[in-house]
Amino acid sequence: MIAREKLNLFKQKFGPAINRADLTGENRVFVFVEPSALKSVCEHIFRDLDARYVIGIAVDDRPYSGTFLAAHDFAFDRDNILCSVLAHLPADDPRVDSISGVVPAANWAEREMHDLVGLEVVGHPYPKRLVVPDGWPQGVYPLRKDFAWNQAPEGFDEHQEFKFDEPPPGCTVVPFGPFHPTLDEPAHFRLYVEGEFVRGCEYRGFMVHRGIEKLAESVLGYNDIPVMAERICGICGCVHSVTYVQAVESAAGLRPPPRAEFLRTIMLELERLHSHLLWVGLAGHVLGFDTLFMQCFRIREPVMWIAEKITGNRKTYGLCVVGGVRRDLSSELEVELGQVLDRLETQWRTVLGAVLKDRNIRKRTAGVGVADASLVKETGLVGPLARAAGVAIDCRRDHPYAAYGQLDFDVITAGEGDVWSRLVVRAKEVLESIKIIRQCLAKLEDGPIGLKIEDELPVGRLGLSSVEAPRGEAHHFVITGENNRPRRWRVRAPTYQNLQGVPTMIKDQRLADMTISLASIDPCFSCTDRLETIELATGRARSWSHEELIRLARSRQG
Amino acid sequence: MPRELPWMLLGSLLNAGMVLLLAPLGEGVVRKITARIQSRQGPPVLQPYFDLLKLLGKEDIESGQWPWAQRFAAYLALAASLTVAALLPMGFAAPLNRGADIIVLIYLLTLCGVCTLLAGLAAGSTYSLIGISREMMMMSLEPVLAIALLVGAVHARTFHLDAVLGGAVYAAGGVPWSGLIMLGVVTGCFQALVQRLPFDISEAETEIMEGPLMEYSGPKLALFKYASMCRMILYASLFVGLFIPWGSGLAFPLGWLVFWVKVGAVVLAVTLVAATHARYRVDQAVRYFAGLLLLAVAALVLATYGW
Repeated sequence: MIAREKLNLFKQKFGPAINRADLTGENRVFVFVEPSALKSVCEHIFRDLDARYVIGIAVDDRPYSGTFLAAHDFAFDRDNILCSVLAHLPADDPRVDSISGVVPAANWAEREMHDLVGLEVVGHPYPKRLVVPDGWPQGVYPLRKDFAWNQAPEGFDEHQEFKFDEPPPGCTVVPFGPFHPTLDEPAHFRLYVEGEFVRGCEYRGFMVHRGIEKLAESVLGYNDIPVMAERICGICGCVHSVTYVQAVESAAGLRPPPRAEFLRTIMLELERLHSHLLWVGLAGHVLGFDTLFMQCFRIREPVMWIAEKITGNRKTYGLCVVGGVRRDLSSELEVELGQVLDRLETQWRTVLGAVLKDRNIRKRTAGVGVADASLVKETGLVGPLARAAGVAIDCRRDHPYAAYGQLDFDVITAGEGDVWSRLVVRAKEVLESIKIIRQCLAKLEDGPIGLKIEDELPVGRLGLSSVEAPRGEAHHFVITGENNRPRRWRVRAPTYQNLQGVPTMIKDQRLADMTISLASIDPCFSCTDRLETIELATGRARSWSHEELIRLARSRQG
Repeated sequence: MPRELPWMLLGSLLNAGMVLLLAPLGEGVVRKITARIQSRQGPPVLQPYFDLLKLLGKEDIESGQWPWAQRFAAYLALAASLTVAALLPMGFAAPLNRGADIIVLIYLLTLCGVCTLLAGLAAGSTYSLIGISREMMMMSLEPVLAIALLVGAVHARTFHLDAVLGGAVYAAGGVPWSGLIMLGVVTGCFQALVQRLPFDISEAETEIMEGPLMEYSGPKLALFKYASMCRMILYASLFVGLFIPWGSGLAFPLGWLVFWVKVGAVVLAVTLVAATHARYRVDQAVRYFAGLLLLAVAALVLATYGW
């Protein structure tokens, strides 16, 4: 049992600093350490054991243990292990050493720990506000348990503007966003440009927070959350609902019936199909090649239709509940799905052949927006971004979930780490997805599609789950709780890590390559912006104050 | 001279009128064919006329840094285009044949590009400034067309419009090497001359949001759009005059019809290329243009030696 070996390794090295260790299942490790040892343990895991950094989590655990919790999640991709390193921090002085110095990938996660839960991250290299709006008062932390989900903080200053850093000398500032034709969601990149070359940038995002995590922890129940989780992202919604239910199932020691696991796999792969087809089209659009865009969308549409036939909806399938799925797949639909896949494969091979031979596209994308293997490691990049740099990580193979352990598929990689490689990886993954769904259809056996859960789920258990979303690994961390809802649910969408790699990818590139470089990570800002208590970011317009807008909106409600 | 004046006026008006009338139709056809290539239904062929009417009827907002310069640039862009129309033979002799020569034509064509620069400069936003810096690099292409006209002039031994724009590029003894080279060169950069993909770099909606035109709306935008639709027809006419003169010399209604059919064919070719290419980056474009420019200079040298 490899998880046991890992734990013994930790114990040998850090003996007295380890307070408690849990092994849940075969491949989940939870290590509780002294706060003072957190940094050195994380450094050891990240550097010496070469684990991948996943996410940092802050938890207000005062009502239960009287302390705050700080956690860092790591993935041992070769050993199929997900690991969480946790430390209890005193309630009156929640200070924790920053690990961003030794684990650069933790940069955003630690800033978020401060913004939302109010942990004081000591020694952070860039402790700037990340998540909460610019006018949010100091010292108010929305994810603390004493902050109600519907509370508006005292002293919110809607006219407060974000303070950007000084641009480097000799550079002019080109604002990219918050609204731009190629950004389908608001995000602001402040580019420092010298001539046609980008020398650096500052990112301000998190503009469309919806308070999803807060709602889950204070209002919703276990089986409401999958539906909410689906609304984290407009494209990979099913991914988030599966990741969430799997995290809960892993915490509670449940295993859904095989048919449910196959159905989840089928929907996840359908989602990957329409997401990748969308992306290849969008990449074409960004490059001005609208014909590719339109053809991709034509080919993609039947995937949406079959999803609608299976679940009743083109998107937001409402499929998952804890312990199974809500809808079965009829045998007629199985046949129809097979036909859709056949047609899709023929059509996609045509497009693929044309695109891979197109020198024009290649010229615009080769050598552009390079993220090499070392950036992948340092920033914790995931998904096609990592695979295009030759780092063969794929949660479907590395941390098998649902039915993936019984399926045969290839992890597509490429070597250059540029936009062209990402295009090739995504385009070829479409064919793998088709292969996977076909196998699922062949292996699908009759049986129940959900567990009958009659007891309360156990309280205070920890659960981790990683799912390979089209954009990379989606990771959820859950602590089960009372009142039929989790105490803490932390969502990390793939774009959360991948966005942190963008400044390096666009540095010293031409401005013209900025849009395709950004598009090449297939950014999903709404995924990143998933949690905040109250949306206050709209008060910018001079002619309408925030209050007036709200009044206007409410007066139109009837 | 005074006796020819009415004819000059009438011809100029006819040419300008034809360009104004047909330019939106050309755009409509371009959109429709593009849509068909992309498996779309596409807008009605007459849609560009309605678009222009709609824009012309909108409120005239002044949002740039120097509104008067913006307005001036919009007027100048369309006016320059229409003047060019009067300098081109469109199925009959160029109306202003006696009053202007190819030097004037080259100036006026360059002026159209300058209008874009002026527009971007007057708008003064970051993106429009990036747009004009790109447009400036794209203007490195202007000499190619000038050289093509010069090659014709060298063979015709005159700067007269009709003489040059009547197939004079092929007038060399034996195989017309210089003419053929220029045909290749101008074909190779024609998309850039009419600012279509893969060379619509200075506007690049998905990169710099229409660049110089970013601050334009309503009637001023309509004028610029109109000018750019006209630009397509004018350059197509110029191309026809320079390189495919056959049949235009027929008696009035016939030659005139043949001419517009040829213009239509050029527009169609431009559409097909635009719909099947991704946009190049400005440095890639400029490197490509530099090669073409070298070829063009070689052709000019050949032409002076009579080839």
